[in-house]
Amino acid sequence: MRLNLTPEQQQVVDAVTSLLERHAGKDRAMQLVETGAYDLDLDARLIESGFHDLALMEGCGPLEAALAAYEVARNVGVSAFGGMALVAPMVLGEASAQPTLMATTQTGPVRLGGGDSVVLALDGDQVLAVDATVEDWDPVNRNRSGFPVARLKAQAWVRARRFGPGSAARLRDWWRVEIAITTAGLMRGALDLTVAYVVQRKQFGRPIGSFQAVQHRLARLAILTEGARWLALESAWAGARPDLAATAAAFATGAADHIVRECHQFHGAIGVTREYPLHLWTQRLLQVQQEMGGVAGHRRAAADLVFQDKAVLKLSVAPAV
Amino acid sequence: MEFGWSAEDEAYRDELRAFIQDALPAGWRGYDQTDRPAYKAAAERFSRGMAERGWLTQNWPTEYGGGDCSAWRQCILTEELTPIGEPRGSQYMNVNWIGPAFMRFGTEEQKRYYLRRIAAGDIFWCQGFSEPDAGSDLASLRTRAVRVGDEYVVNGSKIWTSHVGVADYCFLLARTGEPDSRARGITVLIVPMDHPGFTRRNIASLAGDESHYEMFFDDMRVPVEWRLGEENQGWEVVRWALQYERVGTAQYQRAALQLSDVVGKAQDNGAFEDPEIRSRIGEAWATCRAARLLTYKVYDLREEGSPPTADSNLARVASTDALKGVAQLSRDVLGEEALEHDQAVDVIRNGGLAIAAGATEIQLDRIALDFLGLPRSR
Ligand SMILES: Cc1cc2nc3c(=O)[nH]c(=O)nc-3n(C[C@H](O)[C@H](O)[C@H](O)COP(=O)(O)OP(=O)(O)OC[C@H]3O[C@@H](n4cnc5c(N)ncnc54)[C@H](O)[C@@H]3O)c2cc1C
Repeated sequence: MRLNLTPEQQQVVDAVTSLLERHAGKDRAMQLVETGAYDLDLDARLIESGFHDLALMEGCGPLEAALAAYEVARNVGVSAFGGMALVAPMVLGEASAQPTLMATTQTGPVRLGGGDSVVLALDGDQVLAVDATVEDWDPVNRNRSGFPVARLKAQAWVRARRFGPGSAARLRDWWRVEIAITTAGLMRGALDLTVAYVVQRKQFGRPIGSFQAVQHRLARLAILTEGARWLALESAWAGARPDLAATAAAFATGAADHIVRECHQFHGAIGVTREYPLHLWTQRLLQVQQEMGGVAGHRRAAADLVFQDKAVLKLSVAPAV
Repeated sequence: MEFGWSAEDEAYRDELRAFIQDALPAGWRGYDQTDRPAYKAAAERFSRGMAERGWLTQNWPTEYGGGDCSAWRQCILTEELTPIGEPRGSQYMNVNWIGPAFMRFGTEEQKRYYLRRIAAGDIFWCQGFSEPDAGSDLASLRTRAVRVGDEYVVNGSKIWTSHVGVADYCFLLARTGEPDSRARGITVLIVPMDHPGFTRRNIASLAGDESHYEMFFDDMRVPVEWRLGEENQGWEVVRWALQYERVGTAQYQRAALQLSDVVGKAQDNGAFEDPEIRSRIGEAWATCRAARLLTYKVYDLREEGSPPTADSNLARVASTDALKGVAQLSRDVLGEEALEHDQAVDVIRNGGLAIAAGATEIQLDRIALDFLGLPRSR
């Protein structure tokens, strides 16, 4: 057991953070959100530096990929990096240099859909994979915030490759890890923005962040944000063990509600505007939260997976430490 | 970053479980504390059994009777003992913060005297901090210790002290500075419980028979050599000790064990089929697991030898929240059947842990200031 980063992991985090400082972040995301565009430039730079390949790289693994995915989310990268760097390598066995997107059904809305990409869909106990092009998509949201969302036309699924039985379970587990780490990163970004805001914003002659009523609620968000991060990293480290993946997704998506509500509350009116960037994080949090059965779906999955073995309950010790 | 246990640690946990199974009846969930001598004898027997195996203080340095093992061994130990009701009795405090406080602040003689006995499982402690008018605002405590020659003359009282009925020593905080000296004028005194001038009263409590006492000091004369650390250095000792105390018991694991009891009942009475209940079970489980990793972060720092940080406060609030959530869920799963159990008491007892070792609000203050860097409110 060792919770701090190895020097190598620290290097990965530093390198990806420095790249994101230059090529992602709120200003960049604010530009892109106007047109609903995907950030192909950011992907190109992440790929050029090999970050999409971390999960399969010698001396690295899915934990390192998750550490990078956390930073991409925190810096509101308009990228399907989690799909490329975590889900594709761990489910398909190879890293993807294309935006890699996940879908629960063939007809549902897909986060970051709309351009050339690989789409992985659950189909019973199998996975369908389609190489989609711009023409294959019907855009569904033009609300000028959050991730772009689109639906694949039926024509695209005709070309789908099919992966064998059992592949759906892998996709579900890794997608949950992706949901968890993306959510954790977004939560952290929203919290950081909010803490900076309440320190600087003054009312009644003092920073609003000096009121205990505000402080305690932010402190609770810190607990949720850190808890979500640790659980997500643990689930990646554990190779998306099904119970851990569901637990991590359940905790993160459940916590997202609090982050969204409270971060907006502490921003007052400015937080509801399009001019202020808070919505970049909060809209995305609410989108990711709905995927794959949503909060209750992840929670029930965790309950079923942890407690399916009734024998566990007869022990005098708590399960699965 | 490495979230797995080493083979040695796993093997240790197995051995420990086997030892517990041997030493305690199946399904054991805590001592009957009403018969104090019997309770103390049983807790002592258990602790000495652990000491014989070198397990009680294994993460201490060898020179103090330890085994130089990693802090993670203590984590495993607590994870196995806290949930079932702490068979070491109040000795869990010894290993966690009392012994380390001696190592850090004690004289050579004090170390020699106390550390070996703690490591052998021979002594029980109680923690005399809170007073009627000094709870959350501990630095306002008023129990006076006036220096007269080679002694302190102590007058005042303490309240809410746990484990007094079985303790051999009290880890006592007293004011040696001016009345308004706050944190600058507090000193730690180590006082044997049978010392003249020292009386006590048990306070009946929902949290357990040994949970609360009041202690009174009437011209109690304490030799200067019984002081731990320098005069007026007490606050430093306490701040340091409390950060360890906050994670000294594996409350997340206690919550997890209670949850698995709840799930067992839910499977028996059909509540597990209710999607809403299953969702809440998953939620409660995730909360326990998050609290666990937040606590591991504290062990990690301890293992590195870094000073305690606000991570202890994060872990504490997460753990006590988990406990409260599970107690509530348990009632909802049982419905009317809860009337037959002590479920209502459980809710209050689990909630009590969000007051002990610093109320949740005090922990949140620390997180706001030390973890988030928010400006002071005053
Ligand atoms: C089960 C149990 C065991 C205990 N064992 C021991 C022991 O062994 N030794 C010992 O010394 N003490 C012990 N205590 C006492 C414990 O440390 C105190 O109860 C605790 O510090 C709170 O003090 P208080 O009870 O006086 O509450 P108060 O300080 O009066 O506070 C009451 C409530 O007011 C709120 N509050 C207080 N201050 C603030 C603030 N600054 N901001 C916002 N809200 C605030 C909190 O909600 C708090 O719970 C134990 C307590 C319990 C419940």
